[in-house]
Amino acid sequence: MNNLLMLFFFVPFLAFALLGLNVLLATHKPDESKVSAYECGFSVIYGQTRSTFQIHFYTVAILFLIFDLEILLLFPLAVTLYQVSTFGFSIGIVFFIVLTIGFVLEIGSGAISLTNFDQPNQK
Amino acid sequence: MIKKHTQIKMNNNLTITIINILLNLIDVLCIVLPVLLSVAFMTIIERKQLAAHQRRVGPNIVGYYGLLQPFADALKLILKETIIPSQSNKVLFFLAPISTLIFSLLGWGIIPFGQGLALSDFSLGILYTLALSSLGVYGVLLAGWSANSKYAFLGSLRSTAAMISYELILSSAILIIILLTGSLNYNTIIEIQQSVWFIIPLLPVFIFYFIAILAETSRTPFDLQEAESELVAGFFTEHSSVPFVYFFLGEYSSIVLFSCITAILFLGGYNLPEVFVNNSIINLQSIILGLKTCIFCFFFVWFRATLPRLRYDQLIELCWLNLLPVCVAFIILIPSILVSFDLVPF
Repeated sequence: MNNLLMLFFFVPFLAFALLGLNVLLATHKPDESKVSAYECGFSVIYGQTRSTFQIHFYTVAILFLIFDLEILLLFPLAVTLYQVSTFGFSIGIVFFIVLTIGFVLEIGSGAISLTNFDQPNQK
Repeated sequence: MIKKHTQIKMNNNLTITIINILLNLIDVLCIVLPVLLSVAFMTIIERKQLAAHQRRVGPNIVGYYGLLQPFADALKLILKETIIPSQSNKVLFFLAPISTLIFSLLGWGIIPFGQGLALSDFSLGILYTLALSSLGVYGVLLAGWSANSKYAFLGSLRSTAAMISYELILSSAILIIILLTGSLNYNTIIEIQQSVWFIIPLLPVFIFYFIAILAETSRTPFDLQEAESELVAGFFTEHSSVPFVYFFLGEYSSIVLFSCITAILFLGGYNLPEVFVNNSIINLQSIILGLKTCIFCFFFVWFRATLPRLRYDQLIELCWLNLLPVCVAFIILIPSILVSFDLVPF
């Protein structure tokens, strides 16, 4: 058993132990106003949670997926830049040019800007 | 006779295993307890420093100079009632803060505090850090979803979008450093900086990197998750007592962790070029790393005291339209310089 594995066991144990301490020591007297959802000043309006949200957040997540993958795919090149030298580097540049074309297309389609998101074809 | 002999041997093996496990546990405690203490002191540093920026005194009642304030706060929060909202998803409601704490504490497993002074001298240390900082998003997302409150939900959506966007800047800034070191191991990165700290040749990259870690730890000016004027407390609106402590601990632990990683990546970690030859009894390397970490912790609080908060659309556009293109340009520029002048340093 190495140290890192021990850390992986110990940290969750610590988290659950502190939670258990709270269960043992703290009082638990829930009533209706305590357990209802938080609201500023007036009683809870039902039907406002788990509703639709703007698709912008979803678009950002999808774009992140692609770009993060592409940056992580460059890590092997970064580690072996000396071995692959000019040829490997030029291949990397070609890879990056494709990425940049995609990036320009994405900015041009207005996927990023939140303000005019409802009119994506606005020129 | 033979049976007895094997039994003794088995007992010996068992004893050795138990001793090994205990030694491992002591090693882990040597990292985790100081980390928790430093997180506690980070909160009091923040309050004291904010007070100093605003020409106040700050907390100074509990203990000498207010030093025991974080422990009093922690004890109070542990003794408070945990309120579980009736509409919430109970399991995820508790799993979210726990996962936040776990992922921010696990990052300390590979930090070298001195030469060979790490829990694990992992050859893929950078990837481990990046993976854990990506996983940190899940705590935020689950907390907002499980609490079933509109404030928590909106806070978690915004926070998630901001965190994953700035993750790109973070990983591309780190990629540039990897180009100069050729290794994903923290020790190698520190040793290569013996001659020059990376903050000198890579100052623009450092600025992007620091903006990215400010957003990654959701600090001002990017703390949209807890835009108090709109969203009460962001994604942990519904969390109280110990689950709240976990979010708090996770946030401050990741601040200290990222300060430490910044010190390692840009300021040469535990090395101080040519000044100290480490043959003293006291291990100066850890102290040097600690001092460098303190510089960046100071920066975090300083920015909070100085800068106003960005709007959400400004935040996303700053990342995708301004920072990311420049980062991509640097990712092409720096290897081009290295290859064309045959300067690849490893």
